[in-house]
Amino acid sequence: MSLIETNNIWKTYEMGAVQVHALRGISIEINKGDYIAIMGPSGSGKSTLMNLVGCLDTPSKGEYYFNGSRVSQMEEDELAMIRNKEIGFVFQTFNLMPRATAFHNVELPLIYNGTSKEEREKKTLKALEAVDLADRMTHRPNELSGGQRQRVAIARALVNEPSLILADEPTGNLDTKTGLEIMQLFSRLHKEGNTIIIVTHERDVATYADRILFIRDGRIEKDEIVSRNEKKANGTDI
Amino acid sequence: MIFWEIFKMAANALRINRMRTILTLLGVIIGVSSVITIISALDGLEQSIKSELEFLGPSTFIATKMGIIMSDEDFFEALKRKPLKYEYVKAIEEGCDKCVKVAASSNAFNTEIKYRNNKLRNVLVRGSEYNIIEIIDFELGQGRFFTHEEDLTRRRVAFIGTTIQDELFPGVDPIGKSLKINNIKYKVIGIAKKKGSSFGNDADRVIFIPYHTFVKQFGHPRGRLAIFVKANSVEDVPDAMDQVRVILRARRHVPYDKKDDFGMVTADAVMAVLNDITRFLRLGLVGISSIALIVGGIIIMNIMMVSVTERTREIGIRKSIGARQKDILLQFLYESLIQSLGGGLIGIAIGVILGKVLISLMNFNMTPSVFAIVVGLTISTGVGLFFGIYPAMKAAKMQPVKALSFE
Repeated sequence: MSLIETNNIWKTYEMGAVQVHALRGISIEINKGDYIAIMGPSGSGKSTLMNLVGCLDTPSKGEYYFNGSRVSQMEEDELAMIRNKEIGFVFQTFNLMPRATAFHNVELPLIYNGTSKEEREKKTLKALEAVDLADRMTHRPNELSGGQRQRVAIARALVNEPSLILADEPTGNLDTKTGLEIMQLFSRLHKEGNTIIIVTHERDVATYADRILFIRDGRIEKDEIVSRNEKKANGTDI
Repeated sequence: MIFWEIFKMAANALRINRMRTILTLLGVIIGVSSVITIISALDGLEQSIKSELEFLGPSTFIATKMGIIMSDEDFFEALKRKPLKYEYVKAIEEGCDKCVKVAASSNAFNTEIKYRNNKLRNVLVRGSEYNIIEIIDFELGQGRFFTHEEDLTRRRVAFIGTTIQDELFPGVDPIGKSLKINNIKYKVIGIAKKKGSSFGNDADRVIFIPYHTFVKQFGHPRGRLAIFVKANSVEDVPDAMDQVRVILRARRHVPYDKKDDFGMVTADAVMAVLNDITRFLRLGLVGISSIALIVGGIIIMNIMMVSVTERTREIGIRKSIGARQKDILLQFLYESLIQSLGGGLIGIAIGVILGKVLISLMNFNMTPSVFAIVVGLTISTGVGLFFGIYPAMKAAKMQPVKALSFE
């Protein structure tokens, strides 16, 4: 069974009297363990697609199945449960709680699903270790570098052991070197069995993935398997 | 478990915005403390008046020229009445079979009391018949009260309250000593038990002298004459009052179609009037001070609205990692509740203290009002919930995508 299956989904916004179709019938299938990049110019609808896939929003039309359950008809709180347990978000601007320590930022998703304190501590530490930041757990975001902040965000995404990691321009606010480190971290996480979707407009970033979906004007323009030659080093063989 | 975690988040957010929290608290503190101050002061006032009236006792009433005056009109009408006469006492004793004790009493305030070099001014001197001690709630402490005989023979004897004892006879046993009332010598024969002060009025700052002695020194009491009557029992009070009324109307030749030209005072009647007054005070003052409370609530709501808008992105982040609507709702509701309840508790403390200060300034007796505390807590919780729910709902209902893209 595929992890993600969308069946002709549309997203339409009402802008006054005008209807704007951000997505015009997208059908994709993503399996467990896949590493996918979604590419497209700005305004192509790639962020809208990411929001739908990430259960932050529901489609105007069409069906969306996540892990076999029909997400397209779900209520806000059911979506919140899926976001909490099944999806880990990584954002371009990190989206950390500015006043909270790295530890608390990573712990937060566990609080919302009622995990006990001891269990929370164990899982949070494990996630921070996975991104090599266990020694920075008492630091606040403003005491961390951009790369470290993004790693905290990745630890937060990992902490509930989600079925899917969804990264929206994860290197967009980082310099090239730090961006490279983050992409290598994603490659490692993929090797460890995580399913990853990265939204980007840079081909350099996209080629870390195994497969690239090109979006333009709300439609899938091209579905490309990244060739062996182009494929970027995946963490171990730099 | 999760409630507690969310509560901690709310408390944390308030701690971070310390200045804002303090200002919000201030709004509630002012509102709650003014309501509590007023309620406790009014409670104290009422209790004091009640204890003041208790000396009358439930089976006692007083017939006077004026009675209880409720309006200017009544007051001017009552001024024209003829004074009560001493002979009514005998008439009531003979004609009222529901009455057990009847005593005439008058008083003078314009007095100067002396014992050697000690001097007191404006002491209440009551000229009463010998049996007044059995009618009103004054108990014998030491010595004795004066007798019927002493009254009729106009002896200069005095029965004093404990304040007179303390201030005029420090370190001296007053019994057998002579004090001077407006330069006329009286022998002290007894001391009352301490009653304590109430309503700014020291009940022990009093001297009782025989009625006829009083008349001899101060002249006829005229409008000042009061006739104290004790009925058989509490149940007999209405009958006794009716009998006294009939006797007085006959004696004063009041035509059957005219109103009484005298007044009857019972503790209950005075209390009823006072209740009316304090009820108005309560409604008016509490009403005015609750405006402060509403303003406090509006401050909370205003601050919470700003806070929700300012933290839109935070709300988006929380939602993206799985916070449900009720989690967000609860967090913001906790924030306004902590502020309103916290402000409420501080306000209650300040209010109780202020109430006590007010009361001690006015020399009342007072016990802290549980009612005021319950009211304060209920109101502040109510304010927090009422004014906090809308901002919290606004936060909870935000769409995650929109909230996340908020700049």
